[in-house]
Amino acid sequence: MAKYTTAELMASVVSKELRDRDVCFIGIGSSGPAFIMAVAVPTVAARLAQLQHAPNLHFMFGPVIDPIIDGDFAPKSTSEYWYVNLLSAAQVPLEDTLNLFKLNKMTVGFASGAQVDKYGNCNITAIGDYEKPKVRLVGTLAQTDIACYSHRFIITVKHDKKTLVEKVDFITSAGYLDGGDSRKKAGLPGGGPSIVVSDMAVMDFHETKKTMRLRSVHPGFTVDDVIKNTGFELEIPDHVGQTPVPTELELGYIRNKIDPCGYWLKARLTGEEATLDRF
Amino acid sequence: MENKVTSLQEAISHISDGDMVALGGSLIRRHPMAAVYEIIRQRKKNLTVVAWSSGNDVDILAAAGCIKEVQTSYVGLQNFGLARNFRRSVESGQVKVLEQSESIAKEKFRAGGSGLTFAITKTPLGTDLMRNPAYRHSVECPFTGERYVAIEAYKPDVAIIHGHYADPEGNIHVPKRRMMDNEIDILIAKSAKRVIVTVEKIVGRRFILERPHETFLPGIFVDHVVEVPYGCHPNSCDARYDYDEEHLKMYQEMAKSPETFQKYLDEYVYSVKDHYEYLEKIGIRRLMAITRE
Repeated sequence: MAKYTTAELMASVVSKELRDRDVCFIGIGSSGPAFIMAVAVPTVAARLAQLQHAPNLHFMFGPVIDPIIDGDFAPKSTSEYWYVNLLSAAQVPLEDTLNLFKLNKMTVGFASGAQVDKYGNCNITAIGDYEKPKVRLVGTLAQTDIACYSHRFIITVKHDKKTLVEKVDFITSAGYLDGGDSRKKAGLPGGGPSIVVSDMAVMDFHETKKTMRLRSVHPGFTVDDVIKNTGFELEIPDHVGQTPVPTELELGYIRNKIDPCGYWLKARLTGEEATLDRF
Repeated sequence: MENKVTSLQEAISHISDGDMVALGGSLIRRHPMAAVYEIIRQRKKNLTVVAWSSGNDVDILAAAGCIKEVQTSYVGLQNFGLARNFRRSVESGQVKVLEQSESIAKEKFRAGGSGLTFAITKTPLGTDLMRNPAYRHSVECPFTGERYVAIEAYKPDVAIIHGHYADPEGNIHVPKRRMMDNEIDILIAKSAKRVIVTVEKIVGRRFILERPHETFLPGIFVDHVVEVPYGCHPNSCDARYDYDEEHLKMYQEMAKSPETFQKYLDEYVYSVKDHYEYLEKIGIRRLMAITRE
């Protein structure tokens, strides 16, 4: 069995959550490990899904729809030149892709955060007291839209106590708010977060309480590791499996076809090579 | 034909302290930086900057003490990290922020540019964006009963966007192969009471007349046109030139403290007479290195 990286494992997990005819919105930007989490894992996952079980899946980088990103077609940097010249089905005004959310046509969004809480609410706005923040972050981007409207969204996140917190300091994007039916009551049209994929485990949400629940632990980690690195009480079912490792076929697709140069999963296109591996 | 070509100094002199100023561009792309530097040189105060996505434009305005409030979806330097000056200004309470997602910002500019006074959205429901009184008005759809939040249309005093070419009447041309994120610049310009467009080059009217389908914004929406080649530097400008990686790294290094950033401001803004002197400082080698098409 070929050894795999954490980023490859995460891409494989996310790809299994994607279905044929899904329409996925992927943001572009950031660098290093944050780029791998927020951009590269969703992108490679979408391509893996297209190559395996979801040939009619669409994904877009903001206004760039159905881009060709394999191998040497990948953008070589985050600068505009590369995105403008990406082979793609369409480059439309961003307004059109933002409106896909409101038209109920965006089935999958991706979210990440400096903080994510047990209901899947995310924070990319400010740490500490909002009025006098300890750390001012970037704001909202489209994440508030993604979490509001997409049929479901997938959270990719670094697994530690600083990130996975009891309650986010600021809800930039709505998960299940206070749990139960609070998301529905608030009038949010989208379905909320489906799974959380970290560099240590996969979580989903309890059907009625809507609290985060451990689904599987990545090889190399134990349930105890996960509990110790989570800042709130995770729902732990009686049986917690091991996260399925990427198959030979998936690794072949990633390494020989989609991302042979590491532009994506090694963040090389951002000019700052990175890894999510802890060992 | 009205000649709207003017100097950067003259165009920016129309901005008054306390104005609401809309800035085009997104992330570190196509912000009208030459105009931003001139705002700083003219020491404008208490501006409210509205945008749909911001970068080092807002960061440097915050450092220079020109702004009291920012309304945008993002302030950061993309792959170069957080906007350090902006961060300090918000953490110290000097600059207030109205959080608005990309679609909220877009709707507010679209409403303003369509002659409407408000727009509706579901985006902020349930989130802490709602803590801001800007989102206090809940409205119900009279047809379906759905709940929305009313958001006030933008009517900025001045909007500044950057284009590639313009004729003297202010017909703005941007090549079709462009970053489509920045199409919101068109909505931003249409929403404003006064519109300043900086361009890479002023061209003859014939150039525009032969390519009417590539007119990004017709001159009827434009009040002042200013020629500033490489006017987005160190931002990128579509496929024409890239962001200046070397310069942005240096910028971020100097932004680590207010003291070192003051040196940046002195060197690249205050001590510079005009845009051409700025370009001379950057140097022909850097400019050629970032040029693409």
